[in-house]
Amino acid sequence: MSLTFNGYERANGEVGIRNYVLVLSMVNCANTAAQQISWKTGAQVITHEAGCAEFSKNHARTRLGLLSAALNPNVYAVVLVGLGCEQTDHVSMMEEIRAAGKPAEYVGIQEERSLRKAVEKGVGLVEAFQREAAMQERKPFPVSRLVLGVQCGGSDWTTALSGNITIGAMTDLIVDAGGSVIISEVNGFPGSEHIIAERAVSPEVGLAVIQMCDELREEHFALHGQTIEEVNPTPGNKAGGISTLVEKSMGNVKKMGVTSKLQGLIYAGQHVLHPGLWMLDLRAPIIDGNVTSGFAMAGAHMNVFSTGRGSPLGNAVMPVLKLTGNPVSYAEMGEFLDFNAGVVLEGLPASEAGQALLEKVIAVASGELTRSEINGNFEFIIPRETNR
Amino acid sequence: MRALLTDPKDNVAIVVQAVRPGDVLEIGPGCLLKAEEEIPMGHKIALTDIPAGTMVMKFGVPIGRASADIARGTHAHTHNIEDITEELCRGYDAEYRRKAGAL
Repeated sequence: MSLTFNGYERANGEVGIRNYVLVLSMVNCANTAAQQISWKTGAQVITHEAGCAEFSKNHARTRLGLLSAALNPNVYAVVLVGLGCEQTDHVSMMEEIRAAGKPAEYVGIQEERSLRKAVEKGVGLVEAFQREAAMQERKPFPVSRLVLGVQCGGSDWTTALSGNITIGAMTDLIVDAGGSVIISEVNGFPGSEHIIAERAVSPEVGLAVIQMCDELREEHFALHGQTIEEVNPTPGNKAGGISTLVEKSMGNVKKMGVTSKLQGLIYAGQHVLHPGLWMLDLRAPIIDGNVTSGFAMAGAHMNVFSTGRGSPLGNAVMPVLKLTGNPVSYAEMGEFLDFNAGVVLEGLPASEAGQALLEKVIAVASGELTRSEINGNFEFIIPRETNR
Repeated sequence: MRALLTDPKDNVAIVVQAVRPGDVLEIGPGCLLKAEEEIPMGHKIALTDIPAGTMVMKFGVPIGRASADIARGTHAHTHNIEDITEELCRGYDAEYRRKAGAL
């Protein structure tokens, strides 16, 4: 098997695995226009609840979420849709998107004096970008150019035993090939932070992991008066056989593989500083979509997601390749799952399952559609953090 | 019928199918255990008697403290395991800081 994939070269030297045209709503008031442009063109769309009269910290995050999605390497071009009087400054955002070498245009509803006309204009802009995007051909690139997020959700007893160790084997293969993998789900770390810290490339990075876990436990308690383990594991996790947060977190860390060294921590909107295994310190509420969007904001090309109990999760700017370690879930929910790691429970070595998963990752990177894309699961949440 | 052991230090195993009282599970070659009660698929079965107040071990680490005596062959879950993540974290953090300081 060749360790190359066929991707799209960007003007700034980055590589994308999709050639999305993205419709970006600047403000809640423009969501309907943005959605209608997307329905008529099939373009990706991100809408949200904010964009006006926000306090500065909140607005900074709204802007970072939208801009980072636009700058994801899978995005070819962006159409920004605003009302006209909102807080979100489309001019500076468009400048930054263009500075990254991506085409970008704006539609304002007040300027067009009509929702219908705004939608028509947006459709015209998107279609022009789609024609340009269709002209671009894929070219081979080494796997070392890939950045993957790895995540789990809807966890059960198989998540640790088959799903996540298969991801872990794939993580080691990607990192060995010079590629990058990002872990996050930091609210699921308590109880295994020492294991993550031991994998750090230096004691400084290890201490940063320990410090992060200390802080987030304190932040949760200060904010909610509850410990994380009072809400995590979830009722579904417990029904699936997970009794405590430590037990869940010990399954969580299996996605790191066994040989890859943790290079450091990155924060919302930041890309990996060099190839290898990284941790995204994203202290947003424990909802799968927050972490997935956090990976998209970190410039990940794809999210590899294991789910014992099943989840249809997707993302607006990134394919989400979903696997399950639970053979029953795979048999019953194959409509939204891409890969069966349940064979590990029946005795297939995780190394072999990880190799097969790597091959699937390369196929998806080269254009094979994931179930998330076929089913139209294109969610995006702007992650709101407790600490920043 | 099978149960999986994740680490030699563990005192629980994971049943890979739903079990009923009297079912005999194979936990590795030649190692058999009789289930004393119903246990749902994917849940944990005690390999030894685990007295209240002692650690429940899985993945080779403590995952919680027995909040009641857990008899060999019975179901180990939230009804008899206390979540002591906070306490374990404090210990791990102190240990790592001590070691990193000494490096």
